[in-house]
Amino acid sequence: MKNLQNKVAELFENGTINLMIGFKNSINKLPVPCFIEKAEQIEQLIFTPECKGNLAVYLHKPEVKQAKKVGILANVATLRSIVQLTSENQLGDIEKTIITINAQNEILVFDKMEDVEAYVQANFPTYTDEDKKLLEQLSNMTREERWQFWTEQFSACVKCYACRAVCPMCYCPQCTVECNQPQWIKVSSETTGNLEWHTMRAMHLAGRCINCGECGRICPVGIPVHLLTAKMNQDIEAEFGSKTGFSCQSGYALNTFKPEDKEQFIK
Amino acid sequence: MEIKNIKSTNIPAFFDQLIQSGKVVIAPVLKKSGKVFFESVKSYSQVATDYIQTGFSAKSVVFPKVEELFSFVKNEDDIEITNNLQNIPETIVWGLRPCDASAFDYLVEFFLRENPDTYFAARKEKTTLIAVSCAKADDACFCTSVGLNPGSTAGSDILLTLMGEDVYVEVNTEKGKAAVETSAALFTPSEEKSKEEYLAKLTAKFSIDEIKERIKNAYESAEWKHESMGCFGCGACAFACPTCTCFNIEDEGTQNSGKRLRCWDACGFGQFTKHASGHNPRTNQTERRRQRLMHKFKYSVENLGIVSCVGCGRCIRVCPAHLNIFENILSVTK
Repeated sequence: MKNLQNKVAELFENGTINLMIGFKNSINKLPVPCFIEKAEQIEQLIFTPECKGNLAVYLHKPEVKQAKKVGILANVATLRSIVQLTSENQLGDIEKTIITINAQNEILVFDKMEDVEAYVQANFPTYTDEDKKLLEQLSNMTREERWQFWTEQFSACVKCYACRAVCPMCYCPQCTVECNQPQWIKVSSETTGNLEWHTMRAMHLAGRCINCGECGRICPVGIPVHLLTAKMNQDIEAEFGSKTGFSCQSGYALNTFKPEDKEQFIK
Repeated sequence: MEIKNIKSTNIPAFFDQLIQSGKVVIAPVLKKSGKVFFESVKSYSQVATDYIQTGFSAKSVVFPKVEELFSFVKNEDDIEITNNLQNIPETIVWGLRPCDASAFDYLVEFFLRENPDTYFAARKEKTTLIAVSCAKADDACFCTSVGLNPGSTAGSDILLTLMGEDVYVEVNTEKGKAAVETSAALFTPSEEKSKEEYLAKLTAKFSIDEIKERIKNAYESAEWKHESMGCFGCGACAFACPTCTCFNIEDEGTQNSGKRLRCWDACGFGQFTKHASGHNPRTNQTERRRQRLMHKFKYSVENLGIVSCVGCGRCIRVCPAHLNIFENILSVTK
């Protein structure tokens, strides 16, 4: 940890960064995000395999953008989000220094996005065993059973929008649920409206979600909401052969047209 | 106040008697997700007993996430308006923690002091709170920092404290008495005892009197920005909180029929303060987070004379960014 802290101290000293987004220990079981603005805060910085949170979401935050030169301590999920966001032209207004620690315990400070891309491609994650199992269970259900499963899950949703808030890919300045002229989706939280909200979110994230699982992990009522977008991604990958958070040039499947696409209507 | 005793083995019988009495009984239930939530139950066998705190508070019993204020139907020559006030059921909340029960005292002040809220009043009147003292606490619990303790009787109609094979029953109100009378034979009179050794030990994080003083000058603290950096602006903390009362009025339906609803809202949402003109006086998350915390520790003290944080720790447990309210408060009042 000392090496990492020294490296970050060096980046502060030579003016490369003036805000570092990383992880620290807390009373919670898992490490939590921390924001380092001063030298004396550097000693709280840690990076362990338990640092599972996706910090890329903070790159959209106005208070972070104000800092201009931002360092970010990134696990693979965060790196994939950065790659995906770059391919969607979302990170142009922030000067970022991306740092990770690889499996050999070496600190890597990426110079250019091509290096991030190469690192992500070499360390590309698969679905977790638990998610694989759940997705398989869902796939094996009949339509009616699946409907029953999600209806039951979403009846508990309170529309706190924490799933949207933690998602680096949910960056719209105004979400569809906040439009009221016309009102597309009900404000009140009841099963049908909750289903509409989660379906809409899943559709907007199809082929863009990088499967970090953060939305499911943080849901205060414990809805495995990440399975919706994970399933969409499986389908997109099967249909279009594209992986999310894999290349800075890929864009995303549902608004990219290629000559080799199967559909005839565009030709 | 009356003090009674009941054998712990008789608790299921007492509970089932409450259900037999025809009331809706809301109790903590262990869900598939591994979390415990309040839910309407039909038997004691459904009730979770090993939990530190429920995921959400019991406030939804008196302040539902969606409350239908009225519905209307347009007929040929008139409009028919109806509401559900007559249909609110007698409800018992079982197993809420002393912190949650005390939150009801705040809710009563908030909803009933100046312009009494008919809907809240109707629900509160029909609600009986049977709280259970805490034998365990976790790192997020901090009731002892806000003037409460794991055995506080504030707000509850009955407080149960497990003492080995016996349960010490503090009957605090007439409603509590009525609940005990459903199974009078199961209870025996008891003398006053100290609950101390059966309660969770919780060292206070701060002195609330000191914080109340210091927070008066905290508005301009430079620490708000740092402490709010992680805040995503979701509503998880507010919705889990037993004392957050923000709401939004929504109309749903068509011109021929529809309903008016009161839905939970949260001051952390970016649009919460957005005016019809488009102007938004709270432009960033720092200001929104400050509002939430200042409300708990300063504004509610000024307006109602109550610190509206009961130290249940839910906001700490549910925060996706893992913000910690007592660390935040300590930091901005340094």
